[in-house]
Amino acid sequence: MDRYQFLTILAGLIFSLGLLGVVLRRNLLVVMMCLEIMLNAVVLSFVSFAVRGQTLPGIAMTFFIYVAASCEIALAMAIVVLLVKRRGSLDLGAHQELKG
Amino acid sequence: MIKLTLIPLLPLLGFLINGLMGNRLPRWIVSTIACGLPALSFLITLILFSGLAANGVPLTETLYSWAALGTLNVDVAFYFDQVSAVMCLVVTGVGTLIHIYSAGYMSHDESQPRYFAYLNLFLFFMLMLVLGKNMIVLFAGWEGVGLASYLLIGFWYKDPEKSAAGMKAFIVNRVGDTGFVLAAFLIYFYAHTLDFQAINSYFATANLPVSTMNLIGILLLIGACGKSAQLPLHVWLPDAMAGPTPVSALIHAATMVTAGVYLLSRANGVFLQAPGAMEVVIWGGALTAFLGATMGLTQYNLKKVLAYSTMSQIGYMFMACGLGSFSAGMFHLYTHAFFKACLFLGAGAVLHALHGEEDMRNMGGLYKKMPFTFYTFLAGSLALCGIPPFAGFFSKDEILWSAYASSHGGSQTIWLIATVTAGLTAFYMFRAIIMTFFGTDNVPAKLKHGIHEPPFSMAIVLLILGVSSLMAGFIGLPGVIAEKFGLSSPFFNFLTPVLGHHAIRAGLTEQTELMFMAISIIVACSGIFLSWLFYSRNPGWSAAIKKKAGGIYTAVSQGYYFDAFYENVIVKSMDILSESVLYNIGEKLLNYITIIKAGGSARFGGDLLSRLQTGSVQAYVLYVLAGLALILWWGVTNV
Amino acid sequence: MIDVFIGFFSLLAVIFAVLVLTLRQPMRCALALIAHMCSLAGIYAALGAHVIAMFQILIYVGAVMVFMVYTIMLLDDRDSSFLSPYSAKAAVCLVVGLALAAGLWLAIGHTSAPATAAASAIDPFTFSAFSLAFMKQYWFHFELATVLLLVGVVAAWAAVKEGL
Repeated sequence: MDRYQFLTILAGLIFSLGLLGVVLRRNLLVVMMCLEIMLNAVVLSFVSFAVRGQTLPGIAMTFFIYVAASCEIALAMAIVVLLVKRRGSLDLGAHQELKG
Repeated sequence: MIKLTLIPLLPLLGFLINGLMGNRLPRWIVSTIACGLPALSFLITLILFSGLAANGVPLTETLYSWAALGTLNVDVAFYFDQVSAVMCLVVTGVGTLIHIYSAGYMSHDESQPRYFAYLNLFLFFMLMLVLGKNMIVLFAGWEGVGLASYLLIGFWYKDPEKSAAGMKAFIVNRVGDTGFVLAAFLIYFYAHTLDFQAINSYFATANLPVSTMNLIGILLLIGACGKSAQLPLHVWLPDAMAGPTPVSALIHAATMVTAGVYLLSRANGVFLQAPGAMEVVIWGGALTAFLGATMGLTQYNLKKVLAYSTMSQIGYMFMACGLGSFSAGMFHLYTHAFFKACLFLGAGAVLHALHGEEDMRNMGGLYKKMPFTFYTFLAGSLALCGIPPFAGFFSKDEILWSAYASSHGGSQTIWLIATVTAGLTAFYMFRAIIMTFFGTDNVPAKLKHGIHEPPFSMAIVLLILGVSSLMAGFIGLPGVIAEKFGLSSPFFNFLTPVLGHHAIRAGLTEQTELMFMAISIIVACSGIFLSWLFYSRNPGWSAAIKKKAGGIYTAVSQGYYFDAFYENVIVKSMDILSESVLYNIGEKLLNYITIIKAGGSARFGGDLLSRLQTGSVQAYVLYVLAGLALILWWGVTNV
Repeated sequence: MIDVFIGFFSLLAVIFAVLVLTLRQPMRCALALIAHMCSLAGIYAALGAHVIAMFQILIYVGAVMVFMVYTIMLLDDRDSSFLSPYSAKAAVCLVVGLALAAGLWLAIGHTSAPATAAASAIDPFTFSAFSLAFMKQYWFHFELATVLLLVGVVAAWAAVKEGL
């Protein structure tokens, strides 16, 4: 197994951990953070393939992923703040209006 | 353009017009349409009949192919041969007369259009039955007349007893129809066709085992018994008197109940190959005739007396068919239509005058007030009793002679039973006349002053039928008398190509025949005399005998407990079977499986699936990614 | 040598990811996340994509994580329940995650690298190469990205102002 295979597995593993965190943690902010972990794993796989193939477009793509992540975090935080103001807590259990 | 199809079609048209629009038309239009269309059918029948009598070629008309299933081709086809011609003439002729009578009888009824619609519907189905070329068309008419009978018996449906009587008629009919259908299956199995001509010619030449032929014959007999109210399916006929009197006259005297006789005549090819079945027919007919006559003795309801009389007379017709004398049976059918209709309509006139009173114990002394009715009623009764020169004498005598002399099973025993029945017939008929028209006036006071002769429409019909009861027999003179006077029997000659002439045992002479004729006249007259003795001269005797007979009298007047047996044994066992046994085993289990379990499992599945919707976004994220994983896997492994 | 670094940093990355999952206080989770991102940057650097390593630190740690830390400080949240009780969800998660990983592996991961154009003349992952390519080939995407950022800022501000 060469390094790139290893990195692919690693990316998958980190993605799974992020997914685990998104599903299992109840604090809204921590969920956002685990979302970032997932995004990071994606970036890792992009980069490893770009380096493997010695091509640039992969790198450019990661740049735009960063841009998207920034926008996303800005809006997400705004929404989190407003949501917390409305509900009064960060607990995701309190936001279960869609139940049933 | 005279077409055969018009004969049944015109009454159907009357049904449609009166049924759909009758309530909006004035009454006189309704009755004109209802009476005029059958009259037109009668005219067409006459025209076709004269053509047939001239050249002897039966007419066939195929309307369309109804079903073509492999080897079975069923067409809607009508066939007009000699037998159908006689039946058509009777049905349309007597039918038209009864329609005219009904115009007067039902003129004050609130549902008169519905009545005429049903009556025309009945004519349509009866004509379809009679003109049917194959068993399917006949069966369609068969079922249809059963339907019309149900509708008309339960015409005053607001009375639950009357509706129940209608249902009883229909259900007992259906029991008989099972026999008919099974017979049709067997016939098709062997003959591969359901066309009557083909059936008769097939069974004449195919050498099937006698047991098979007997089976087919008995099944056909069961069907005929249901329709013609023979033992043991006779229980509906007395109850059917709940319908309006013209209905009883038309359906339960002249036409529908004779459909069984028609069926036996049509399928004569089958029966002539099945001597065992013929035996059963003979004995069944004889027994029905006898038992019907005994039951008629004990009735106090005028219409019920006539009903049992009908049952008894049709027993005679069946007996004649069983003896191989199909044409004698048809002749009796023809004369019976006239005099029985006359009797029923006369009874209707009495009921009309007494505003519905049917119990003879509340009548009496009507001779002075309704002489015209009395005379027509008397004409019909004399015909029924078989007094010459009335029509009934010739036809009944022909049957009695066949009972003794036929080579297909005639014997002294049959003749004896038939003759005793004839005597009983005379007895109960004149008992009815004496109780109704003579004797002490038992009419309740409030009805006394309204007694009047029937109106013109009813009276003219009574007159025509009364005269026919006298004159109709002369076209079927027995061979002996015909030869003596140099006349012919056009009726029997007409039917010979189809039904053959009844075979007589060897060694019987003309003298014997004349002697038997004389015996039957004597028996009838003695019956009349005895009834006069018991009811007019010494009324106390009849009461004394009734008391002495005790249990036997009760049994007879209860119809030999047939009704009680059917009710308490058969119906009750069915009830127990279905309510206690089948309900607990079958229905509850099925309910559980199909309704409770099915619904429950659907609900369970729904509950299970609804647990997916937890309301937490995290779970939904998981679902999305799980789907993504699946798609990825599928893509990786299959693409 | 590079492999050692990659192995070291990947181990760190996994450990810190697990810590993010399991730490109780959000602040500590944030710190663990920062460390996780730094180790990823280390991997990128070990691979030779220095540009990306820099961007990782600058953008992700320097902007995104700081923003998160601000929010955590703003929403003074001490407790809240820690984890959902360990339910079937965890198992499903693991399965899903591993399935995704394995899928990725099967799809593209297990073929060996093409013969690298050994040490190409110009290292394509240096800053100069990257910037040149960026300005020449990807300038349009760059502009779109700025527009996206602008829209993001406006949206965030509008959301907070209107009260959503």
